[in-house]
Amino acid sequence: MADDVASGPKNGILPALLVWSFLTGALASTWTIGYDASSMAGENGFPLIEIRNVTRLYRRGADEIHALADVSLSVQRGHFVAFMGPSGSGKSTLMNLVSGIDRPDGGEVSVAGQLLNHLTEDELAIWRSRHVGLVFQFFNLIPVLNARDNVGLPLLLTDLSRDERDRRAETALRIVGLQDRLDHYPRTLSGGEQQRVAIARALVTDPDLIVADEPTGDLDAKNAEATLDLLRLLKNLFGKTVVMVTHDPRALGYADDVFHLDKGILLEGESAARASEALRMALGGVVSTGAAT
Amino acid sequence: MKYLGLIRANLGRNKLRSALTGGAVALAVVLVCLLLTMPAGMDTMIERLASNTRISVHNKAGVVYPMPYSFTRKVRQVDGIADAVSWTWFGGAYEEEGQVTFPSFAVEVDRIGSVYPDYQIPPEQLADFLRYRDGAIVGRQTLRKYKWKLGQRVTLRSTVWPVKLDFRIVGEIPNERAPHFWLNREYLDQALKAQGRDGLGIAGVIWVRVDDPNRVNAIMRTIDTMSRNSEAETASETEASYFANFFGSLKAFVTIILLVTGLVSLCIVFIAANTASMAVRERAAELAVLKAIGFSRRVLFGTLLAEAMVLASSAGLLGVLIAIGVTKALQGAAGWNPSLGPLGSFIVTPAVIVQGVFLSLFVGMLAGVVPSFGAARKPVVQTLHEIF
Repeated sequence: MADDVASGPKNGILPALLVWSFLTGALASTWTIGYDASSMAGENGFPLIEIRNVTRLYRRGADEIHALADVSLSVQRGHFVAFMGPSGSGKSTLMNLVSGIDRPDGGEVSVAGQLLNHLTEDELAIWRSRHVGLVFQFFNLIPVLNARDNVGLPLLLTDLSRDERDRRAETALRIVGLQDRLDHYPRTLSGGEQQRVAIARALVTDPDLIVADEPTGDLDAKNAEATLDLLRLLKNLFGKTVVMVTHDPRALGYADDVFHLDKGILLEGESAARASEALRMALGGVVSTGAAT
Repeated sequence: MKYLGLIRANLGRNKLRSALTGGAVALAVVLVCLLLTMPAGMDTMIERLASNTRISVHNKAGVVYPMPYSFTRKVRQVDGIADAVSWTWFGGAYEEEGQVTFPSFAVEVDRIGSVYPDYQIPPEQLADFLRYRDGAIVGRQTLRKYKWKLGQRVTLRSTVWPVKLDFRIVGEIPNERAPHFWLNREYLDQALKAQGRDGLGIAGVIWVRVDDPNRVNAIMRTIDTMSRNSEAETASETEASYFANFFGSLKAFVTIILLVTGLVSLCIVFIAANTASMAVRERAAELAVLKAIGFSRRVLFGTLLAEAMVLASSAGLLGVLIAIGVTKALQGAAGWNPSLGPLGSFIVTPAVIVQGVFLSLFVGMLAGVVPSFGAARKPVVQTLHEIF
């Protein structure tokens, strides 16, 4: 585990205090976030997400738009993957399918052993509450709730007591380095801090999968890197599978796998390599110093 | 209960809007509670005013039609009757107060004490009523209203008869709710004769006190049988029934008020529903996120509906408390302001409280159900597309 932490991005700015707070706080907690290094070692290498021949159509009037066309991929448990591509490429649609927000028109989507195709809206909601943590581009915290209550929101769907919900929310906030912002409301937090609260909210139910939709899209470079560092840390320390949809070329330096999409088609082979190279060029070589592509 | 914090936080999101919406609901509940007290209040008034051994005999065509005065003497001879007194409408207008009128009647002064023993008029005042031809016994409510004192002289102009008479106030009906002004029938009769008229040959209502409450119905039948086929057939009824009929016309008015109140409440439902819709629209992004993180349609619908119902029921409780406060204040004020006398009978009973609270819950439910359902039923992916 120490090696994993040490292998983090060299240009990462996540404070050492964050790791320290986790080691001294979260691990001391009777509630474990869910990462057991020994068991995760056994689970890594098995696909958490399996997508087979998935198509998704949108109808606008008489027109049919293929948001996704015959896409197949798999994501290993404990991996950090990025879905990349230009606007309209289908990456957000793919993210919606993976996170159980949407259902495909054809093909199969299986996540954490659950075939999602035929679940009803409410069944999908229950499934998401147990297996998926979501992070949005604009943080989307509830402005009338403080950081602790925002993070504790998904726990309202459990049978936990108020005290236990608070304790877990505080632990999640300690993990993201916001233990001194428990009672702060979103309006009193910076953009980077709000995104960390959102990540804590995604983490608090100990989901199998964390799905982040353009998590760096509304952040400055410094906070964007801190957010990517944090997502990577969740993968490294807790073995979380992280799926990120992004335009941000910096993602190449953090993701274990990058899936490039264009016009609803998953690029493979040389096409994918060219897309990655173009992104590296866009980043001016910074990615080459990254750690985990 | 675990969602209460979320509901409370959302209600506090726009405090002014919540306060205004709650205020509207509270006001509707106050109105409804006060109006719901009216039927029961009237019954209470009748109970307080009416005796179970006193019956009223009046023209079958209605109380405004007279009966021959001679019928009073016939009634007194019916077996089981303790005594009877006739009332003839005088319609006195008190000119010093701008021609105001109040219930004033010419009565047989020697019969009042025996027909109204429950009024507990002091014997010496009844004796003065007999002694002074121009004597008058006045209800406490009227005495207080015009600040009259015993021994004071007042002049009333009749709106029924062409006379204007001076009276000496010799007695008081010690009843907070009695507005009557009783004058000597002989006095009016002689005044009319002094003008060359026929005198007072009629009676408006004959009040009869019976010995045994169990014989009231039989005596009423006997009296009405006596007048059958005469020029003025009578209709007898108990005092309670008489007052109930008198207030019957008011009940139709109350029904209209209740209908208007119902419409006002409906308007408030629409206002509250509009407010709830606005609140839901403003929070579309948040609701989309809640759906995305796993809030099912049922949970989302429940929390949104609960928000509307918590606000409405809190406002309803406030409205009920205000209504109780208003009726208590009226009861207190009725003690020193006789004109408010009848209002002191209006009490917010537990049944009215329950109806008020249920009304507010109903308003909350109606106002919340449509926007809550609309927000909850949309698929999460559609909501996210609309928002992001």
